[in-house]
Amino acid sequence: MSPLLASVGAETETAFTMPSINYYAIAPILILFGAAVVSVLVEAFVPQRGRRPVQLVIVVGSIVAALAVTIDLRGTRLVTGEGAIAVDGPTLLMWGALLVIGLLGALLMAERSIDPLGDAFAPRASALPGSEDEQEFTRRGFLQTEVWPFLLFALTGMLVFVASNDLLVMFVALEVMSLPLYLLAGMARRRRLLSQEAALKYFLLGAFSSAFFLYGAAMLYGFSGSVSLVAISDTLSAKTGEGSLVAIGIALLMVGLLFKVAAVPFHQWTPDVYQGAPTPVTGFMAATVKIAAFGALLRVLYVSLGGLRWDWEPMLWIIAALTMLVGSVVAITQTDIKRMLAYSSIAQAGFILVGVVAASPQGLASALFYLVAYAFTTIGTFAVITMVRDASGEATHLSKWAGLGKKSPVVAAVFSLFMLSLAGIPLTSGFVGKFGVFAAAIDSGNTWLVIVGVVASVIAAFFYVRVIVLMYFSDPTPDTASVVIPSAFTTIALTASAVMTIALGVFPQWLLDIITQAGVFIR
Amino acid sequence: MTDTVTDVNTGEQVVFWVCAILAVAGALGMVLSRKAVHSALWVALTMINLAILYIANSAPFLGMVQVIVYTGAVMMLFLFVLMVVGVDASDSLIETIKGQRLAAILLGLGLGILLVWGIGSGLVASPTVGLDAANDAYGGNVEGIANLIFTRYLLVFELTSALLITAAMGAMVLSHRDRWKEVASQRDLSIARFRSGVHPGNLPNPGVYARHNAVDTPAILPDGGTSDLSVPQPVRARGDERTLDQVDIDEVRQITEGSGE
Repeated sequence: MSPLLASVGAETETAFTMPSINYYAIAPILILFGAAVVSVLVEAFVPQRGRRPVQLVIVVGSIVAALAVTIDLRGTRLVTGEGAIAVDGPTLLMWGALLVIGLLGALLMAERSIDPLGDAFAPRASALPGSEDEQEFTRRGFLQTEVWPFLLFALTGMLVFVASNDLLVMFVALEVMSLPLYLLAGMARRRRLLSQEAALKYFLLGAFSSAFFLYGAAMLYGFSGSVSLVAISDTLSAKTGEGSLVAIGIALLMVGLLFKVAAVPFHQWTPDVYQGAPTPVTGFMAATVKIAAFGALLRVLYVSLGGLRWDWEPMLWIIAALTMLVGSVVAITQTDIKRMLAYSSIAQAGFILVGVVAASPQGLASALFYLVAYAFTTIGTFAVITMVRDASGEATHLSKWAGLGKKSPVVAAVFSLFMLSLAGIPLTSGFVGKFGVFAAAIDSGNTWLVIVGVVASVIAAFFYVRVIVLMYFSDPTPDTASVVIPSAFTTIALTASAVMTIALGVFPQWLLDIITQAGVFIR
Repeated sequence: MTDTVTDVNTGEQVVFWVCAILAVAGALGMVLSRKAVHSALWVALTMINLAILYIANSAPFLGMVQVIVYTGAVMMLFLFVLMVVGVDASDSLIETIKGQRLAAILLGLGLGILLVWGIGSGLVASPTVGLDAANDAYGGNVEGIANLIFTRYLLVFELTSALLITAAMGAMVLSHRDRWKEVASQRDLSIARFRSGVHPGNLPNPGVYARHNAVDTPAILPDGGTSDLSVPQPVRARGDERTLDQVDIDEVRQITEGSGE
């Protein structure tokens, strides 16, 4: 008998043991994944006109259900799926944040009464920009309802990404999360060539960075013989003196993760993608990808590479400092508000990195608080941008915002609140967040990084406050955009994010308590 | 049992050096060739050589999958797409950012040297384990992979379906065209062709002239001129159309008068 046939014997059947999976602990993932699949079937079988309401029910229903399960899971601390998925305090906290922000993002994407032509997405992404087809589809009021399954798949990927306890799981989750976002970025209704260019750039650079991640994972596997975060950590503490594979592995892995958080020098895609993507998608992506990518980064650094913190800390110091400074300085020169906010998000990634490099439970807690606060503020900021329009669509050039405070005081006031929060002014969530990360950094002895951070904050405050000055202290010109009154969808999202921005600034204690209870990553 | 790298037997070394050189050559060819089809074929070369290396390293399943999926399916699909899109499409080599190519080459070389040096020194120091122990644990290579897929990687294996669904739906969203105009039937097309005023029938055949009746030979009109319509447009566009000149006329005379050959 050949060796191949001989191996198909009774002994191999007994070698297999069923994997133990705690299905309730991963129920939020399963709910979203199931809903995404159902939502694909809706695209296939429900007639054109009925798809939007059905999709909205599925999306909102599944996110709320997943959120309910996440809240019910609080206090859970386990590793399931044979070590593949870790459900612990930080995971659940980030799941909660991702789901709430995802819900707000879905509300922004559902808005249909701001643009007279329909929602924020092209009626058919396949129609050539400016073609007769496109005009006809717009006239018939077609909607590309495939955006809903994409949103659910992206959220599924993010949930797995922050919970993955294994580099292979993390890689697949990274792809599941990114692929729908590449597609969504290219589906804007207006300025479609810009949008398509954004999608292509995001896709190519994203694929490139994923390859780096995979290569890094391969190096760490070569070193430790496992892709499990815990096993890598164990090997690191057992073996010493075989530095080069680990160093290369960590460096390449970091390239992949830092690309997603948009840290300098891996930030080149950010301005183009933030500007080109449909604004609701930009808001959703800016907030959720930041949470997911930082969640994964924190888990890799704290669970797996904690033993090597003296090796990776200097690298992250430099990257954090560069990210804060480059983001803040380049943002000053921008004239497009979406581009300016893209550079602002780069600078904010730098501030969060200051908390990450603290490499202490306090650093983890402060980074988590900053992420939640930043996510709410960001999605609110982009919600306002969808409403400020002129005849050609969104008025993103800064000159068109001049005197907006006199034309629409309420919206300008809400936008000013978000700008103040991003600048880190007291009584807003941004201040508490910045204070937290800087305090954590000082405690772990990174005082010089805090000094760089404060300098960068001052530079950043300049361009945030400049928008406020532009809105209130200059007179409206004929070019000044006007604010469109949105439907309940955007109003709810905007109100929720504004309330959270103030609430986390004035009464931050409840979230700090939740984060303290969440504790640290499970090993 | 662990061996050091120096214990690899001669046969394996020969396989490695032949396949490794071909694989790297294929990768370089992919990057350096200007035509997309050539690049695709170079990739196929790299993939096949990698497959051989996998099999030589006792990972037959991975090697076969590499051949079937990458070399077979993906590369052929890639070639089909290239054929549909247009074989003659080649990249514009104009630099939009000044000095980009030089910077890219220098940084790429730097990264390459760093990786080769780092991985090289890392691997020389560490023992090689080989796959035999891992394969024997479950009674074979395929069984071992099956065990991993259905235990530790069950969830992630299921999750890849999300990736496939997204990819398939994304391709549909970006390429599926809804029809809103009436599709013209064959009858409509035929009527339109006759109405258009252009000659609806066959174009004149190429000329049959002495020894030449190839498609590049134009037909002769009664007035002694030639008909451009009788030569296919691509041949004319490339400038390959034969002209009737004195040589042909001499040839005909020789044949008719029986004076030649």
